[in-house]
Amino acid sequence: MTFIQLVLSGLALGAAYALVALGFVFIVNATGAVNFAQGDFVMAGGYAAILLSTSFSVSFYMLLPLVAVVTFLLGVLLAWVAYFPLMRRPPATVFISTLLCGMILQNIFLVAFGPEARSGPSIAGAGMVRFENLEISRQSIATIVVAIGLIALQYLLFARTQTGRRLRATAEDRDMARAVGIPATSLIAVTFGIGTSLAGIAGALLANQFFVSPTGGIPLSVFAYIAVVIGGWGSLAGAVLGSMLISVFQVIVSAYVSYAVATGALYAAVLLIFLLRPQGIFSERVQRRV
Amino acid sequence: MWLWLAKGIRVPLAAGALVLAAYGLFFASPYELRVLTVCGIFALLVIGFQYIFGHVGAVSLAQATFFGLGAYVTGVLGATYELGFLVTFPLSCLVPLLLAMVVGIPVLKLEEHYFALATLGIGLVVVLIAVQWQEVTGGTNGLPGVPSVRLLGVEIRDRLHLFIFVWSVLILGALIAYQVTRGLYGRVFHLVRESRIAASSLGIDVDRLRFNAFLLSAFYGGAAGALMAHVIRVVSPENLELSVMITCLTMTVIGGRTRIAGAIVGAILIVHLRESFRILESYTLMAYGAVTLLVLIAAPYGLIGALERLRARLIPEPVDSPPTARQLSALTAAKAGGEGGSLLEVERVSKHFGGVRALEDVSLHLYRGEVVGLIGPNGSGKTTLVNIVSGLYRADAGRLTFKGQDITNQPPHLISRLGMARTFQHINLADDLTALDNIAVARATRERSGLQKSIFTVGPDPCLQMARRNAMAAAEMLGIGPFATTPCGNLPYGTRRRVEVARAVATEPELLLLDEPAAGLNEEEQRDLAARIRRIADFGITVLVIEHNLVFLRSLAERLVCLDHGQVIASGSPEEVQRDAAVIEAYLGRDEAPERGQTVAGGDSERLASQR
Repeated sequence: MTFIQLVLSGLALGAAYALVALGFVFIVNATGAVNFAQGDFVMAGGYAAILLSTSFSVSFYMLLPLVAVVTFLLGVLLAWVAYFPLMRRPPATVFISTLLCGMILQNIFLVAFGPEARSGPSIAGAGMVRFENLEISRQSIATIVVAIGLIALQYLLFARTQTGRRLRATAEDRDMARAVGIPATSLIAVTFGIGTSLAGIAGALLANQFFVSPTGGIPLSVFAYIAVVIGGWGSLAGAVLGSMLISVFQVIVSAYVSYAVATGALYAAVLLIFLLRPQGIFSERVQRRV
Repeated sequence: MWLWLAKGIRVPLAAGALVLAAYGLFFASPYELRVLTVCGIFALLVIGFQYIFGHVGAVSLAQATFFGLGAYVTGVLGATYELGFLVTFPLSCLVPLLLAMVVGIPVLKLEEHYFALATLGIGLVVVLIAVQWQEVTGGTNGLPGVPSVRLLGVEIRDRLHLFIFVWSVLILGALIAYQVTRGLYGRVFHLVRESRIAASSLGIDVDRLRFNAFLLSAFYGGAAGALMAHVIRVVSPENLELSVMITCLTMTVIGGRTRIAGAIVGAILIVHLRESFRILESYTLMAYGAVTLLVLIAAPYGLIGALERLRARLIPEPVDSPPTARQLSALTAAKAGGEGGSLLEVERVSKHFGGVRALEDVSLHLYRGEVVGLIGPNGSGKTTLVNIVSGLYRADAGRLTFKGQDITNQPPHLISRLGMARTFQHINLADDLTALDNIAVARATRERSGLQKSIFTVGPDPCLQMARRNAMAAAEMLGIGPFATTPCGNLPYGTRRRVEVARAVATEPELLLLDEPAAGLNEEEQRDLAARIRRIADFGITVLVIEHNLVFLRSLAERLVCLDHGQVIASGSPEEVQRDAAVIEAYLGRDEAPERGQTVAGGDSERLASQR
């Protein structure tokens, strides 16, 4: 494998991570809540894809939309179970509750699908595509294309539509949004749904090459989180950029050294960022309101 | 003794402890003894976790890592190198402690979720190492053949003796935890949990305190892990896994996050629950999750906390009589410092939030003994200025000198210790502490309350007693003596404001910064507060008051400084400033003059231009 090829597969992985991280940032921006179950929703998306394609033989055109719907509904449920009852409590409470929901999900997967890792359906057919002497799998190309499409869609939704403006208003100041007649509670639930469905779609895209397993989501939560930390807390573009950096780094170091070293070095890098630039690499320092 | 027992639910807890001891010592089968021993180990782990999670309120996800690390140290040293308990046990506590030190420095300053994730990441790295470093750790299979505890030539093999041994360690650990949290030091933890900002501006080194709590939790985690290795006789990566962390978290949330009894009750409940559903492990974990979520929502203080609150509703708690006041001697001596000299110099300070220029080239001098009012429309930068002076914000440019010392960008607790105290626009009090204890926390630095001191205190904590007597003096100065023993959450708004001022006064400051102290008070309360602040100023304390309310200021301030758009636009006597054309324009726009004696702007809270 050449270096460029590694970078390419890193970017495909990064595109999927970017969706996970983006979903994570939506929820953070709208509610201030850190969703520690985000990675488990990636697995939920993977398992949903497996179930839909094997038991219901859904064609691959319908696969992603259906996975999105399933994980959207799960996200709305998450909002009602883990966020709304606890939103007036200290922020720590909400991330404990999402952590617990994540654990419940993991054990549901374990009971329903067994402990072994499983591979999901391919989205764009198997096989590789050749460009001169570069080879890239159709799945990777599909992942990149879907991710770019979804990111563009998110941008349009937030920047151009009335719903997007209402979502942003709710994220900015919930009480004020309510006062001007925006149904803030439903919009927050929708935000949770969008955030988790992005993770779910990423799961369906990743399931083919990277397998799904009951606890496979935990490191993904961590990666999404690290991506957001690197990119600057709350920044959408930063989340995408951070995801790309992490995945390219991971793929390259894993290929030349080992996965364990790659992961270890990543955490060490994050600790260093915490120490030197707690505001993230790309953003200004955030000041707490006193 | 009797009064001690009469508080909370100590009587039923003591009875429960006796029943438990009798059951363990005389009636339990060998299997039940083993289960109880495991309960004891988890209780120790949870008491450790309570320091960081319960007392200072930071969600650490590294407790299982410390636990597993302790187990591995005992496992490797015991099984491979055949070292005895007296060597392995201390090392099992120290290695996690060292890890916590290395990790704690970068991550403890972080906001809540950063901290949680950083600790989770460390846990994942340690698991990776345990699995990969096969020649030492035995990889995924782990290390068998961990020896039993051998102490001074006696081997503890028998299950009854092991039970007694583990519970003795637990009792020792619980005793230390009780010592650390029962006095003034524990109340400092409490304020740090409620408001890090308020604590640091009272001179409390919040980072240090959180660091200490983190180290304590690592120490306990290592001890519990070592004991577990001796009991199970095998160490494996399972000890490090997230499921141990979740178990620990579940026990803490269910039992109560700041209560020692909660740790023990939580551990006993969960370990027995797990034992009875052994075959259905994944269902059990699901049930854990669901039950913990339910307790989190319905009983935020856990079972013990819920019972204590129930008791307080049914049978009122015995109330300590308020202590006799002890004069704040440094305060009364302040006048001797002389008047007229320069106290605070703010030189050309600027502060930007992204594109918003909150402060631009602001200079301001305060002289000893004067009372200065800082006025200006909403968003003019008043609070930003106070935040920079007290060290909560960093200045982008400029220089600050206090008592001749450069304090530019110094941390808030050091600035406070030099003799500066402040109050906040949004009240920052611990609601479930009494008014008196809220004020007493401000004395922590002066009383030199500390970890070692509180561990070795016998009898009532002298730091707390002294702090409370001084706090009483401050409370009386603000006229809130009668409310001293009421929890702050039950006090009306105006009284809470005065508790905040009293807390600032209790640090015996030379400079007192008050951020809208009269906001939300009625006219009579305002007059009373102004008179009391006047009396405090008469001790020779310099006061800077942010206020919109000119009536309030006129009876108080000798000099007014007006800010607008981050710049000083006027400074002088109240009469001069009120007549100043620029001031009138800033408040009311052109061609209008304020009616004399009228409040120029609403006293509602000012929105700071802050950037996300």
